Amino acid sequence: MLSIRNLHASVEGRPILKGLTLEVKAGEVHAIMGPNGAGKSTLAAVLAGKEGYEVTEGEILFEGQNLLDLEPEERSHAGLFLAFQYPVEIPGVSMIQFLRAALNAHRAAQGAEPLDTAELMALLKEKAALLKLDPSFLSRSVNEGFSGGERKRAEIFQMAVLDPKLVILDETDSGLDIDALKIVSDAVNALRAPKRAFIIITHYHRILQYIRPDVVHILADGRVVHSGGPELALQLEEKGYEPFLTPA
Amino acid sequence: MQMLTQEKLSLEAGAQHLTHLLRSQATGVGLPPSLRDHWLKWVDRADLSTLFTAQHLKEDWKYTPMEFLRHPWELGTLTASSPSFPPEGELPLIQPVESFEDLPALHSLPTPSSPWEALLGASTTYQHYQIREAGQLLLTSSNETGVLPHFVSISIAPHSQAEIWLAPHTGGFLLLRLHIHVGEGASARLYYTTDLPTRNGYLYGILSAEVEKEGQLESYDLTISAPWKRTEFKVRLTGPGASVHLHGASRIAPGEVVDQAIRIEHAAPHTESNQLFKSLVYAEGRSAFQGRIYVHREGQKTNAYQSHKALLWEPSAVAYSRPQLEIFADDVRCTHGVTTGFLQGEMLLYLRSRGIPEETARHMLAGAFLAEVVEKIPHERLRAGLYARMGFSS
Ligand SMILES: Nc1ncnc2c1ncn2[C@@H]1O[C@H](COP(=O)(O)OP(=O)(O)O)[C@@H](O)[C@H]1O
Ligand SMILES: [Mg+2]
Repeated sequence: MLSIRNLHASVEGRPILKGLTLEVKAGEVHAIMGPNGAGKSTLAAVLAGKEGYEVTEGEILFEGQNLLDLEPEERSHAGLFLAFQYPVEIPGVSMIQFLRAALNAHRAAQGAEPLDTAELMALLKEKAALLKLDPSFLSRSVNEGFSGGERKRAEIFQMAVLDPKLVILDETDSGLDIDALKIVSDAVNALRAPKRAFIIITHYHRILQYIRPDVVHILADGRVVHSGGPELALQLEEKGYEPFLTPA
Repeated sequence: MQMLTQEKLSLEAGAQHLTHLLRSQATGVGLPPSLRDHWLKWVDRADLSTLFTAQHLKEDWKYTPMEFLRHPWELGTLTASSPSFPPEGELPLIQPVESFEDLPALHSLPTPSSPWEALLGASTTYQHYQIREAGQLLLTSSNETGVLPHFVSISIAPHSQAEIWLAPHTGGFLLLRLHIHVGEGASARLYYTTDLPTRNGYLYGILSAEVEKEGQLESYDLTISAPWKRTEFKVRLTGPGASVHLHGASRIAPGEVVDQAIRIEHAAPHTESNQLFKSLVYAEGRSAFQGRIYVHREGQKTNAYQSHKALLWEPSAVAYSRPQLEIFADDVRCTHGVTTGFLQGEMLLYLRSRGIPEETARHMLAGAFLAEVVEKIPHERLRAGLYARMGFSS
């Protein structure tokens, strides 16, 4: 589904990703762990198509397409979804307005008619319930005044609404209390499917107890330095990153 | 454009020409005889050439293009426009009054602070309104060509409720002088909408208000399109408990100019003022904002807030913001904030990363920027109509 080969990327001329290789197949859940500043969010930003992140070498194939040729919205239409580490507030745009535009753009890309208001509201309410979000939150501006936990849940809610193929969660677990973590994990687990893949970027072993990964990678200094099974997360928790920082 | 077919004057010669033209029309017939001589003296002294010589006037017009002065204006005639947003609702529609000797609005006219204001104080076409208990009125002053000075006074009786719909239109140069007197415990709401999708047309409004004890004034200056619009708004809070809330949402289309000069005077204790202005400026457009809060020695316990935010759509868009505080009382709370900037890439990426095409996303963000003000409009049909006329969905 996703194949990243020897990816090098710079921000403001400074190399951050330095030859990252990663292969994710449909149905799999990958965890990416690594120290602060390793380049995890940079990888997410490059995948989403954020401006200012320059790919200097390597390639990213998403379902056989060159991802880097696509605009951010086209990546979304193709089935990519990034849950942001720091979702931005957009005052003046309501969640409904936002998701109507997003869903209808997805539908247009597939040649489908826009949803009518009743269908839209039914879908949004169903998915909001999945994340235990009060329906009143749909009338609020995107992320405005949301608590940390609400913001993260709102990201997963959007994921559930847009039904993507590949989901990247960038530290979605940070700042979540145990109840919110459970809600988020349940929603992710409910969406696990043979056709869908997840990349979970995290610092902590905790979320991986709820969402069991197939593969765990350690990202350090812009590269995947070590990969293993779910037990790797536990070892990291005990020993820290230090023993793994020499490439395997 | 009609102007191009005529020879242009120098700015100074144009100012002189316009001074003479306005003076020749200033008869004072619409003023009570007891005030007439007083105002005609101001007219005699007024000279638009001082715009180029008097320091405070130069400051005041620093960011405002004055090309219109180069036009050899002739006098226009007053007609009525058909407004995009006609008033509606429960309140009875008020007609102008014939007898104006004792109208509080005329007796509370502020001393002119500019030659424009002086020339207009004894202008040529008058309308006076008086609201008792409750009423709304519709002002659709309009002139197709030429320069037209127009004077409107509105007196709102104590404990009355008024809604004022100001929807002028011009294809020439419309000089509108509006003064509102808000009596004790009365409340007034002003909707000033401008929807002039023409290439020419200069709209200059000098608005003022005096708000007495426990009176309330609320205004919404809403610009959908205006080639050149300047609004001066001077409000004096003269009794304890008086308050004013000014809102402005300007969509400044490519090449347009919207200029706002606000002055709030807190002249009594326990008064409150609030200014919330937003300007969305497209390519080559210009927003100029001056907001002055003046707290008199008597203005203890004043609460004053002011904010102007400009969103520049292109590097060629320009916004000037100048907040000014002059405070002569010691126990006051005044805050002001100015922000000017471009669209945030983070917001745009967020929307796009959910599949929303770039153009749609930009458009949503433009509408969202003005929404902070538009959503405060207590009139639902106006709110929806405004979004529609601006091309934003709500
Ligand atoms: N927009 C940016 N501008 C400048 N430096 C950046 C930017 N984004 C990331 N970096 C730098 O890139 C490095 C990797 O950051 P990041 O990808 O956020 O790390 P992680 O998510 O693994 O903690 C850090 O040194 C960070 O300072
Ligand atoms: Mg990060």
